[in-house]
Amino acid sequence: MSQDKIKTPTTTGHVWDDDLQELTNPLPNWWVWGFYITFVFTIVYWLFYPAWPIGHTYTKGIPGWNSITYTATTVDGKEVEKTTHWNMRSKFMHEMNEQQAEQKKWFDKVAGSSYEDVSKDADLMQFVNSAGKTLFSDNCAPCHQSGGQGKVGFSPNLTDDHWQYGGTYDQIHTTIVGGRRGYMPPFKEVLNDQQITQLANYVLSLSGEPHDETAAAAGANIFKGDSAACYYCHGADAKGRIELGSANLTDKIWLWADVPAAKDATAKLDAVKHVISGGLDRGVMPNWDHRLKPEQIKLLTVYVHDSLGGGK
Amino acid sequence: MATASVATSGVNVSAVSEQYNYDVIRKFTIMTLVWGAIGMFVGVYIASELAYPFLNFDIPYITFGRLRPVHTGAVIFGFGGSALFATSYYVVQRTCQARLFSDGMASFTFWGWQAIIVCAALGNVLGYSQGREYAEMEWPIDLMIEVVWVTYLIIFVGTLMKRKQPHIYVANWFYLAFILATALLHTFNNLAVPISLFSMKSYSLFSGAQDAMTQWWYGHNAVGFFLTAAFLGMMYYFVPKQAGRPVYSYRLSVLHFWAIIFLYMWAGAHHLHWTAIPDWTSTLAATFSIMLLLPSWGGMINGILTLSGAWDKLRTDPVMRFLIVALSFYGMSTFEGPMMSLKDVNALSHYTDWTIGHVHSGALGWVAMISFGSLYHLAPRLWNTPMYSQKLINVHFWLATIGILLYIVAMWISGIMQGLMWRAFDDFGNLQYSFVESVAAAHPFYVMRALGGAFFLSGMLLMCYNMYKTIRKGSTEQQVEISPVAA
Repeated sequence: MSQDKIKTPTTTGHVWDDDLQELTNPLPNWWVWGFYITFVFTIVYWLFYPAWPIGHTYTKGIPGWNSITYTATTVDGKEVEKTTHWNMRSKFMHEMNEQQAEQKKWFDKVAGSSYEDVSKDADLMQFVNSAGKTLFSDNCAPCHQSGGQGKVGFSPNLTDDHWQYGGTYDQIHTTIVGGRRGYMPPFKEVLNDQQITQLANYVLSLSGEPHDETAAAAGANIFKGDSAACYYCHGADAKGRIELGSANLTDKIWLWADVPAAKDATAKLDAVKHVISGGLDRGVMPNWDHRLKPEQIKLLTVYVHDSLGGGK
Repeated sequence: MATASVATSGVNVSAVSEQYNYDVIRKFTIMTLVWGAIGMFVGVYIASELAYPFLNFDIPYITFGRLRPVHTGAVIFGFGGSALFATSYYVVQRTCQARLFSDGMASFTFWGWQAIIVCAALGNVLGYSQGREYAEMEWPIDLMIEVVWVTYLIIFVGTLMKRKQPHIYVANWFYLAFILATALLHTFNNLAVPISLFSMKSYSLFSGAQDAMTQWWYGHNAVGFFLTAAFLGMMYYFVPKQAGRPVYSYRLSVLHFWAIIFLYMWAGAHHLHWTAIPDWTSTLAATFSIMLLLPSWGGMINGILTLSGAWDKLRTDPVMRFLIVALSFYGMSTFEGPMMSLKDVNALSHYTDWTIGHVHSGALGWVAMISFGSLYHLAPRLWNTPMYSQKLINVHFWLATIGILLYIVAMWISGIMQGLMWRAFDDFGNLQYSFVESVAAAHPFYVMRALGGAFFLSGMLLMCYNMYKTIRKGSTEQQVEISPVAA
């Protein structure tokens, strides 16, 4: 293997491991020129952008070559125009200015109209749907899911006709601004297992789910009685009270006990019993008044009411 | 299984094994295969998790967040690291005509390094992490690495000093640069204060943007020295050896070596474009990345042109094909990298799958392919027998190549798509897409990526089988042939 490649004048004359040699070929021209071109590119790049630190400051590029103009709002609410050397912050501001100028026209219209007028204006509703989709997806969807369909055991469905805290524009607005906290006390201290079973049968009977008639009748008495006082929150007709956000137990909509997914009558009963005995302290929606701007909340109100459907 | 046959072959005493320490090289070669198979399997699994999240099975130990560092650790340090130990010990001995500085220390680096990979993987699965990419290992493991690495340095330098050749071969420059730079990077990036002597938890000595810059000085140069310079060392030995041709240009190797060494160290901050680091830092990182393009290509052309006059080998020799395709991918990803480091290109590519595609075109296309080629060259010489099957090497080559192409094409599409979706505004000035829409849009490409990974993994498994059969054959033949010589 090593014999056929005897040292020729073109190698460096060193041989390693029997046959490893190196030729003395010059650097390829295109490689050398390519290397120089990257140097030239580099120097030009340095003239366009902040590049070298000097003490506590840095070179900012040739003045005027790559400057950025943007408008910003000062703390006292004044709009000022600034021109700076290239920097990330200014570039971001500049790009956002362009989009915000477009958005502002529409947001101003939303802010200046009543809910009903926004709802009736087809052009404005196009904007509501465009801005609302992003606002909803980035802020609300983590709990209410991407289409607002909610998740049993976690967050209410916003696309149906049922509104625990009310479905008028004002009620939805109040919910978004202040957030909500659903609470139901645990009843395992107050009721024994038999009573909880009876109560659960009654709750199932309200939605026409399979149940034991006798137990349900006994459960109805507990519901209306004062030891558990279920009626106090859920109402004597069990249709819930909007001012408390208590569930309507007759509408066949299940948020916490996953009755529709339970595989048989026993599992349905267990699901309801679990809620009654353990109570609920998980229905927390945060408040958004300091996270979103008033016009964004207003727009979201219309979006949830009109576009997700079922505002009543 | 394979370890047993190594033990038997180690017992045989031949002229070669008196002159050189092949035992530790054989061990590292086998572990390269083992970690390659494990690491790539984990990679395919987490790629599948991204496409089908139910594969988490709600078990915390196998979620993406914990398995991802297991994947990177096993492929970079397990597979890549073992391949580098094996080849560097082989190359330094053969090109210096000297036995390793110390057999005991070499054996220590083997067992130490394997223990480190196992501990790092277990630590990650159990949830211990420094949260530093590629340096997730907590402080006790970092200390183990420090000790093993310094031992490695001593062995390597010690062997170089014992050399019977006046000149140091180019491959060894690259290996030595890699060992020195890795020691430096590892030490400074892992400066941390443990919360107590008996706790795995520690806090970094640096904070904020400086911490991020330290991490990416490490992260980028881990790519530059561990995954590039070291594998160039591998290339400089195995390409001319397999081709039977001299290295194309000595001058080019000197120049691109020093250019790479000097320029790489500046470029790390390009991983932090559009973040809280100063603008000037970002600019310098971008420009040094651009200046790295031609030095990187220096290695590629020196390797590819070494083959001039022997191009027919590409048709007949699948091992040569691995080596040359590796160099081609190296050239491609070292072009892509500098482009992605430009501010405006990065504004599109940052945080997208494009980055993942880029790193894999380097990791699969360059690092793994050059290692496969080198190991196929090495194994017959370590076990004194031709490879069990040339045909399987060829099949491996095609599985690997198809796998890489599926992988990087999928990531290019999904990455650029994500970048465009995230910045798209509609006529009202609103963002056109929500984040979750971009996740949904990426799904088909995640499936395609997992499939590409599966191709690559199946090639790896085929290599393991081929090697196993070769080693089995080798050890038995050796006993017949060698024993008269030894007697």
